Amino acid sequence: MNDKEALDLLSFVVDRAKTLGATAADALLIDSDDSVVGVRKGDVEKIQRTRSRGMGLRVFRGHAQAIVSTSDMDRNALETLVRGAVSMAEETQPDPFSGLPGTGPGSVAPVSSLDILEDPSPEISQEERIRLATEAERAAFAEDPRIQNSEGAEFQSTFVRSYLVNTDGFSGGSARSLYGLSCSVIAREDDSMERDYWYEQSHFYRRLPHPEEVGRHAGRRAISRLHPRRPKTTTCPVLFDAEVARTLVSHLLGALSGYSLYRNATYLKDRENTRVASTGITIREEPLLPGGFGSRPFDGEGVISRPKVLVEHGILKMYLFDAYSGRKSGRSSTGNASRSLGDSPHVGVSNVLVDQGTRSKDELLQDMKSGLYVTELIGFGVNQVTGDYSRGAFGFWVEDGEIQFPVSELTIAGNLDDMFQSIVEVGNDRRIRSSISSPSLLLENMRVGGNG
Amino acid sequence: MKREEMRMDKKQESFSLEVMKFFESRFGAHEGILGETLGSALGHQIDDADLYFEYTTAETLSLEEGMVKKGGRHVSQGVGARILAGEKTGYAITEEIRPETLREIVRTARAISLGTGHGGNALRLVPARRETMSLYPVASDELDVPLSLKKGLLLEADRVARSVDPRVVQVMASVATEMKSVMVVRRDGLISADRLPLIRVNVTVIAEGNGQRQTGSFGYGGRIPFAEVTGEPLHHAAREAVRQALVNLEARPCPTGTMPVVLGPGWPGILLHEAIGHGLEGDFNRKGTSAFSGRIGERVASPLCTIIDDGTLPHRRGSLNVDDEGTPTQRTVLIEKGILKGYLQDRHNARLMGVSPTGNGRRESYAHPPMPRMTNTIMLSGESNPEEIVRSLDKGLYAVNFGGGQVDITSGKFVFSTSEAYWVENGRIQYPVRGATLIGNGPDALTRVSMVGNDLGLDPGVGTCGKDGQSVPVGVGLPTIRLEDLTVGGTA
Repeated sequence: MNDKEALDLLSFVVDRAKTLGATAADALLIDSDDSVVGVRKGDVEKIQRTRSRGMGLRVFRGHAQAIVSTSDMDRNALETLVRGAVSMAEETQPDPFSGLPGTGPGSVAPVSSLDILEDPSPEISQEERIRLATEAERAAFAEDPRIQNSEGAEFQSTFVRSYLVNTDGFSGGSARSLYGLSCSVIAREDDSMERDYWYEQSHFYRRLPHPEEVGRHAGRRAISRLHPRRPKTTTCPVLFDAEVARTLVSHLLGALSGYSLYRNATYLKDRENTRVASTGITIREEPLLPGGFGSRPFDGEGVISRPKVLVEHGILKMYLFDAYSGRKSGRSSTGNASRSLGDSPHVGVSNVLVDQGTRSKDELLQDMKSGLYVTELIGFGVNQVTGDYSRGAFGFWVEDGEIQFPVSELTIAGNLDDMFQSIVEVGNDRRIRSSISSPSLLLENMRVGGNG
Repeated sequence: MKREEMRMDKKQESFSLEVMKFFESRFGAHEGILGETLGSALGHQIDDADLYFEYTTAETLSLEEGMVKKGGRHVSQGVGARILAGEKTGYAITEEIRPETLREIVRTARAISLGTGHGGNALRLVPARRETMSLYPVASDELDVPLSLKKGLLLEADRVARSVDPRVVQVMASVATEMKSVMVVRRDGLISADRLPLIRVNVTVIAEGNGQRQTGSFGYGGRIPFAEVTGEPLHHAAREAVRQALVNLEARPCPTGTMPVVLGPGWPGILLHEAIGHGLEGDFNRKGTSAFSGRIGERVASPLCTIIDDGTLPHRRGSLNVDDEGTPTQRTVLIEKGILKGYLQDRHNARLMGVSPTGNGRRESYAHPPMPRMTNTIMLSGESNPEEIVRSLDKGLYAVNFGGGQVDITSGKFVFSTSEAYWVENGRIQYPVRGATLIGNGPDALTRVSMVGNDLGLDPGVGTCGKDGQSVPVGVGLPTIRLEDLTVGGTA
């Protein structure tokens, strides 16, 4: 199915919905092709190919809505789909705030300007894919004799094309390619066994870092975790490595969702233009960032994406809305509708970046003097309604600005509101590795649970 | 369980045959085509192969602000072809189910196997004859009821929750039903099929008071008809959600550090899932990457602990008639009186480890190859009186409800987070505490179980387990237990 066929099919579906009694509709189609090669201990372990296609349709009857989706693209199946949606919208209750964003056709930026699609895509033979994964794993084993086992290395390529059409005249598509190389290995010495991993990804095959780099990094990380200790329960400064700092940012973004706002389900309710973070924190959304992992020309409802500042020097500048949550708050969509096939839109972000500070990682450790340097977090102990935060942590104990030993089986706890306002230093080590990117962040104090 | 017996006569014997006929009539997947397609892979040096057909319809309806605002209906269909050779797995899928696409995915998947065979003869297929009855005999029309009934359920949840207490400012409720038909065709010629009903109801409330906002949530369900989630279970869910929110409005910061912890019965069994369940999955143990690798026969829990994984409990969310490789599910003893007895296996890992599969080969959908996964993971009852267990706490935490958990398989470190817990001193509950993460080390956390209650409870039917990007429904069960020295991540 080419671009025109996909858009034609979606137009057919939304038109059909209108004929059958819908007052408005939008439909999306996602077509993906995913290929994974996995190598473990030098041997090919898996070869997986997943080509998948699905369609989602949202219909409105007045202000009542229904959503349907299918992976069956047969015309008869689509007719059943549309009929099902229209009849379901007779059962849901009308909500005066529901509806399309009302922004019309708009002017969609060409995908080429986003630098997220390698076109033409290079032919990468199976042998080449296997070689990349094998080299990454080999480099990890070569890094240190204590790397004794492996969960394997994987090379993955993904192509995704997505299309959206609505009855207000919007019609657009986007496409991206993505290549990823990951490696996960296990270090062992005496009774201590620790796993760690590393990955690199890029929209362009030729920009992917050398496999050896990925493997060596994974190996070094696993080795550095051997023989962890558990410090005593204490209150101390905590340095969030850039890799985990972005999870803090994602919690903040969740609390800015227009849905959380009208449901009273966020600790950041009624906080626009007030301080929500320390002055060193500025957070932007850059939907059109070239090469960004969240880049998109339009959002999940066809609203054209624009850059914006969310938090400026610690002051909250805006909440995030899709069409529905915006209307509920008397605002317009901020172009933050995220969409999957089978769900109504929710609020999500494209690329979010925390502005860099001036301090290097070493300087941040110096600034901290003694405390906890966190490199991995586990668990789900984050309450967006209250801001309460409590998670399991792995990392390193720091004294006199120097890393002393690895630590694990610790908890760190606080409240997101206090935590963001207690950021005392911002690093200069931000890398664009996923859709949310942050430099390392130093927090003045958190409660650390360990021995005793 | 009278209800099941009553239904057995009318639709038990034929459920798997019906599913096979469905795939044959809808996609032309008759035995000749299947035998020929799978047989074409067999000339190669392969150890196992299967085709997995799936057709799923799902419907969700949700309410907030007193209105049923959203409804959704979803159809998903596809076939996954898997070829196994040594430790290698080849996998490919198609969503257009035709003889040509089936042949194509088998060709793609067999690229994993070395050798240059030209394809074997057609397989002769033998439908699995199951003497046993379905664990969850629910007809489509008992699950897929008219939308107006589901809408009525949600409106009632809203009404009940708001009537409990004026501090309730928001009620969100949802009902999700799913009917999944699956068929597995294996290289040994076995064809097996199943039809899996699943329903889940969730009620979440937000309450305001003392200048604060708090949430409470209660979910329930299983492989049961719609009629069984209505009435009293719904009222209970709405009342529980409100009660939890109101308790949390009074919550104070949780103390921090290493301390004795008492877990209530039921859903706190998520401890077992994270602390030992994942670590006992066959794939990690074959590869030697689990903290439990090579430890069969060793003590990994106190003698008070006997832990099983049981996929055969009628109507439970984690139960299956057969797993996603056609192996009948079973009751597997993982830990007996503290001694590690066995791992959870799929066919691939069982073959490589030279043991029998345990009926734990599961997958999220046709888009994923199976892996060893848990079903319902349960600690059996002990002898202690649950009230005495709480009274035994000099200073410690009594946790009765949890959100999610997670584990690092290799180091064994696991976490799970409280959503309702109390600080106890001198055997008496002092006050509720705010959400805190509990962290421990899997291989030794259960060696510190010092009391096990006689009150085994199963979770209400809400568990979903994620592994390697695949989600599957699971269950847990736990009596009240006391653990020494668990680390509690509070702010006080």
